[in-house]
Amino acid sequence: MRYLIVLIPALLLPFVLTDFWLAQVLTRSLILGIIALSLSFLATYLGVVSFAQASLAGVAGYAIAYFGPNTVGIGVPLPFIVKLPLALLLAMIAGALIGFVARRSRGIYAIMITLAIGVAFFYFTRQNYVLFNGFTGFSGVLPPALGDRSWGDPRPLYYLSLGVAIICVAMVQGFVRSPLGLAVQAVRDAPGRLLALGIPTTFPIIAAFAFSGLIAGSGGILNAWFQERVSSFSVGFGPIIDILIISVIGGLRHPTGAFVGAIVYVILDIFAIDLIDRDRFNLLIGIVLLAIVVAAPNGLQQLAIDWVGALRKRAAKTPAN
Amino acid sequence: MTLFFVVTLNGLTLAALYFLAASGFSLIFGLMRTVNMAHGALLLLGGYIGWSVADATGLWALGVFAGGLGAAFAGALVQIGVLGWMQGDELRQTLASIAISIILADLMLWIWGGTTYQVRTPDWLSGGMRIEILGIGYAKVRLYLMAFALVVGVALWLFIQKTRIGAVIRAGVDDQDMLRALGYPINRIFVLVFAMGGMLAGMAGVIAGSALSIAPGTDLQFLLSSLVVVIVGGMGSVGGAALGALLIGLAEQYGLAYAPTYAAVVTFVIMVVVLAVRPQGLLGQAEA
Amino acid sequence: MSDPVLQLQNINLHYGSSHVLHDVSLELGTRPLGILGRNGVGKTSICNAIFGLAQITSGKIILNGQDLTGLAPEKRAQAGLGYVPQGRRVFRSLTVEEHLRILEKKGSAWMIDRVYESFPRLKERRRNLGDRLSGGEQQMLAIARALLLNPKVLVLDEPTEGLAPAIVQDVVDLIKLVVSEGTSVFLVEQNLHAALSAVDDVALIVGGEVIERVTAQTLKRDPEMQKKHLGLEASGH
Repeated sequence: MRYLIVLIPALLLPFVLTDFWLAQVLTRSLILGIIALSLSFLATYLGVVSFAQASLAGVAGYAIAYFGPNTVGIGVPLPFIVKLPLALLLAMIAGALIGFVARRSRGIYAIMITLAIGVAFFYFTRQNYVLFNGFTGFSGVLPPALGDRSWGDPRPLYYLSLGVAIICVAMVQGFVRSPLGLAVQAVRDAPGRLLALGIPTTFPIIAAFAFSGLIAGSGGILNAWFQERVSSFSVGFGPIIDILIISVIGGLRHPTGAFVGAIVYVILDIFAIDLIDRDRFNLLIGIVLLAIVVAAPNGLQQLAIDWVGALRKRAAKTPAN
Repeated sequence: MTLFFVVTLNGLTLAALYFLAASGFSLIFGLMRTVNMAHGALLLLGGYIGWSVADATGLWALGVFAGGLGAAFAGALVQIGVLGWMQGDELRQTLASIAISIILADLMLWIWGGTTYQVRTPDWLSGGMRIEILGIGYAKVRLYLMAFALVVGVALWLFIQKTRIGAVIRAGVDDQDMLRALGYPINRIFVLVFAMGGMLAGMAGVIAGSALSIAPGTDLQFLLSSLVVVIVGGMGSVGGAALGALLIGLAEQYGLAYAPTYAAVVTFVIMVVVLAVRPQGLLGQAEA
Repeated sequence: MSDPVLQLQNINLHYGSSHVLHDVSLELGTRPLGILGRNGVGKTSICNAIFGLAQITSGKIILNGQDLTGLAPEKRAQAGLGYVPQGRRVFRSLTVEEHLRILEKKGSAWMIDRVYESFPRLKERRRNLGDRLSGGEQQMLAIARALLLNPKVLVLDEPTEGLAPAIVQDVVDLIKLVVSEGTSVFLVEQNLHAALSAVDDVALIVGGEVIERVTAQTLKRDPEMQKKHLGLEASGH
């Protein structure tokens, strides 16, 4: 029932909105939201804030470009049915590797290490021409055809992104209820106790990171199709911080808040030009982030929940008086 | 052989800069558990201020001093105005410092634009110097930079090991709660250490602008190198920052000279290996 | 009874969802007070509440009429509380001398010279780092460090824990000396024998509550009460 309130308008919006709104606001928000969801998932259930999620999205994006049609003449074209699972698998493997490297690190240490990994990956893509085509990366990364049209057209891509977003949210909810998901949460709550009981913590940590790689990779592939390109700019410090900001705005402990954060972020991005100078978008987003961290450290979603709770309380009190 | 010597000297130059940047970062982390993501922005701010002052007055030393002072002031302000209110909530501090670094970077872009700056050095620092033993010539400013880093390192070590405030800082690193329960106004020490970290970063910024150059992006480069240096060397110790800076500086330059495609990966591999063998860093103390 | 120096009024403390202290009220005058109870009944939590190292949910902490509730730990110490914590918590990378030097206050009854006179062992080891001291030396240092603040109230949390019997006696003597100089002593102990020889009054803690307030003499003569609230091991020393 609660989901329908969101879902029905989401299905109907393409009939109301212009292509610009559909593509540049909604589709973009969904894609960024999916990648941010992978971060909020780790933050909520493993208790680790990872700065490497944009890199994981990038791995899948690069893979889909390398194994598919592109206009830079690098890579090995593979059939869609092969390259899609391959790209997702590579993102999962990359996630598992990051989880392995960061397995003993928690809190701020995990932040520093994942950030270092993310930025190192960025520099690597810039310097490597064989796999990543260096600075410029891949262009002409097109999604498969849809009859005589393309999946990249505004409406199909919107529905595709919406579908992937729903699947990702459902997968997160399924994962956290599974035995493995419960083990991940046990690692978050009491890693020492698990070790004392002789239960290894490494596997749940690696699994959680791999799973986050799957989510981030899904977003990364959509992003490559949406932009029709993937390059070092897709995995730089900017995107790394953007994903973090989106998660923080939505609330790091609220996985679905990622989509709230993404819409706020995208709308700020588009309308910054009306608020202040276009060039000063970073100033605006920095101030918004600071304001959220200072005033609503649990994010907008928690803020909304608190407000609704307070209103309900007041509503419940009124008749008693 | 000549190439090897030059590359080694380049690595030492970089290591000296990395040390100046990372020592303050590491000190702040060791005492307060704060990962100051705005550290790179403070460095760049110091560099810009230093350039402006040196450009206006023609006095290079005054530029270094002003850059250090400006960044020290900004650092203290960050701690007093924002991070101090969130003491103990490390994640929130990290996020807030990211916000501050974004804001600062954009303000600096606004003021100083996107061009690359090089701080003009005085005559005694300009030109090259012949090093007979190695049979090569090398830029004077870079040789002085290495000497400067060495002096700063020793001074910092003496300050922390031999002075009363240094002892307070060590006590705070060991057991912050206990120091407070003994009546020590630790918040003042926090501000002081933040100012010191800013000072070191700011001076490093001016010197980086003299020996190399500074531009938007320099902030991230040094933030990242500081992160890696303290991860490798160990948090909160001057010696760790020095060792980490040496390793990373040299590895980067050797990588760039002998395996250009994989230079970024060399640094990364060092970090991963250290994490696998000693998660607390080479000279770091294990978490209690 | 004289005016209370330190008052705890209806202190409640929670760690997450567990309720650790229940309406703890205690008054400390000039007569030294012992806080006794089995392991895990919340004795150290009382100390944390006094010093603001744990945030109490409700209640008040008053020192000489000054409300300390809500103040930062350093402000409470400055108001006249001295802390000798459980496990001693000396600074591992500071020498003995540095410990004393960073805390020495002009005009205090205890200055470095007097510390060295009273604890010759600390003088001998003044260049040693905190983590290179024996348990007894660390304890002396922890007490000396708190005395330098010239506190009105000295709070000691299990100062005899893990010490040899001869050293335990030294600690007891030292507490008596501090009391004789007019400092109020708040002694949390496991070691019944040591506590009873150092304090005049005793509060018994069970399950985070003060269940009995008696004189040391009464408790000494009442093995039943000892057994009931402190367990058998308490009278073993």
